[in-house]
Amino acid sequence: MTDVATTAVTGSQPEIAPRQRRHNVALWLSLGWLVLVIASAVLAPWLGFIDDPHKPLSGPPEEGPSWSNWFGTDQLGRDMFARSVWGGRLSLSIAGPAVGIGIVVGGVLGVVAGYFGRWIDLGVSSVVNVALALPALVFALFIVTMLGQSYINVTIAVTILTIPAIARIARAQALRFAAREFVTVADMMGARWPRLLFREVMPNVVPALASIAFLAMGIVIIAEGSLSFIGVSVGSPSITWGNILSSGKGRLEDAPHIALITGGVMFVTLMALNFVGDEMLRRLDVREARI
Amino acid sequence: MLRFFGTRLAQLALVVLAVTLLFYWMLNLLPGNPCVAAFGGAATEEQIAECEQDRNLDEPVIVQWAKWGGDVLTGDFGKSYLTGRSFGEALNTALPRTLLLLAYSQVLALGAAIPLGLWTGYKQNTVIDKIASGGAFALLSVPVFVLGLVLILVFAVRLDWFDLSGYQPISEGLGAHFRVMFLPSITLAAGLLPVYLRLLRTDVIGTLQEDFVGTARAKGLPVRHVLIRHVLRPSSFTLLTIFGIQAAQAVNGAIVVEFLFDLDGVGSLLVSWVAAREFLLVQTLVALIAAVFVTVTTLVDLLYSVLDPRIRRK
Repeated sequence: MTDVATTAVTGSQPEIAPRQRRHNVALWLSLGWLVLVIASAVLAPWLGFIDDPHKPLSGPPEEGPSWSNWFGTDQLGRDMFARSVWGGRLSLSIAGPAVGIGIVVGGVLGVVAGYFGRWIDLGVSSVVNVALALPALVFALFIVTMLGQSYINVTIAVTILTIPAIARIARAQALRFAAREFVTVADMMGARWPRLLFREVMPNVVPALASIAFLAMGIVIIAEGSLSFIGVSVGSPSITWGNILSSGKGRLEDAPHIALITGGVMFVTLMALNFVGDEMLRRLDVREARI
Repeated sequence: MLRFFGTRLAQLALVVLAVTLLFYWMLNLLPGNPCVAAFGGAATEEQIAECEQDRNLDEPVIVQWAKWGGDVLTGDFGKSYLTGRSFGEALNTALPRTLLLLAYSQVLALGAAIPLGLWTGYKQNTVIDKIASGGAFALLSVPVFVLGLVLILVFAVRLDWFDLSGYQPISEGLGAHFRVMFLPSITLAAGLLPVYLRLLRTDVIGTLQEDFVGTARAKGLPVRHVLIRHVLRPSSFTLLTIFGIQAAQAVNGAIVVEFLFDLDGVGSLLVSWVAAREFLLVQTLVALIAAVFVTVTTLVDLLYSVLDPRIRRK
């Protein structure tokens, strides 16, 4: 993914160079932050400086940031830094598979619809349009309620939300490339449809899908955050960013750092995801999907 | 024209039927009989028996759904078998609050996005444009609940300008009403604003390239007049198409905002029914919301084709 970015940069023109350079700095900062968040989330159980997020009285309750508790402590004196990291761990472990499956299923549906057109396109497009018209959170809420509040079910619910949006973009991309000369040439040279679809059209749609993955990740993190904020995601004692914020809601007066710092971490992460995704789409010149 | 509308409305009816059937059928996927599964042991024998009879459980699912649909269409939305409270009664209190919240936030978002979009599109790549675009980008990355918490902390807890003690109807006085509704509406509007702003700005930049804009300027018309009278209308088509989808997304935000500000609207109703395992009510509400939004999106689409006749011929 990074080499897409760097090749695009080297080809930039002199007069847009300052802007390009600013975007590069922001891009590297965003990527750096994402690596930091993902690494700490993945390695949380093995990193010595991250406390046990469930251990009460790691410090005095509801204290602001200090040397021993970088992000302060919550109502029970649990270390907020550890809780933020573990919250991120759960949020990301839901968002990762959800986006992965969403990209594969949505991507294939969209490309097949865009490439074959006719009734396949009509079928896929109508389902996608209806799905996009429904309030996503209501739908996710319904699924989680029916199936039960567990990690798997929340992941299923948010995955279903990503598919129509991704399929729509993949379809637009496939339409755009299916009409290009190289596909027509391959067709005239006698290539059959699997070759046209998988060797000619699909590889051109993949870079756009990779960029969409970043944006979709942000959307899924917000969706899961909303679910756990209203208490309908994975049940306690699991820690998610959403339920930390929900518990910080009642303590705004005395301990605003609980909500503010976790909210801040979430905001910076989402901003980084959006920036990387948007910047990649800009460089690939994909207009349909920019946020 | 009439045929076009006819086809679209027929499609709409089909979609509404399919969507409600889907939601109806999902409840039957629960293991065991939906009446028992829904209450999970919290209901008495009689309550379950009453529910079974109301839901026509001895018939095939499609017949159950048709009878349920008939009941909903004639205004019988069912009731809670646990508390005896009717669906309609609960919705009567909740719906106006949610509709007001949605209306206020759309007015605020459009009210800010239209002038800002026109101005930043006109002043493309200036400092003002960059600040507005950067701000819009940042706003897109703030989850509704984070923004809401920050606004509550600053304006309600620290400054004490607004009330968080629950909903006040307009009949209690406009002052009291807006002291409660202002922060939630701003919170919700903040999520919609960047989407509208970015779309409108892009379209305005496109429209400004058109010859008629040059002509209007050459006639000596003031910039403001050109932007509002000549540029706005042709630039607003994309905004309109996205409005339907955004209206649906606004409901996501509304659920969270109502929860955050204790407004007891439709979203809170949904969340509390979920918590109480009132699956049958949840299902009716979700199906209704789905039907409303599919309808809204279709109507917006139709409106679009009225404004731009080229669409109809496609």
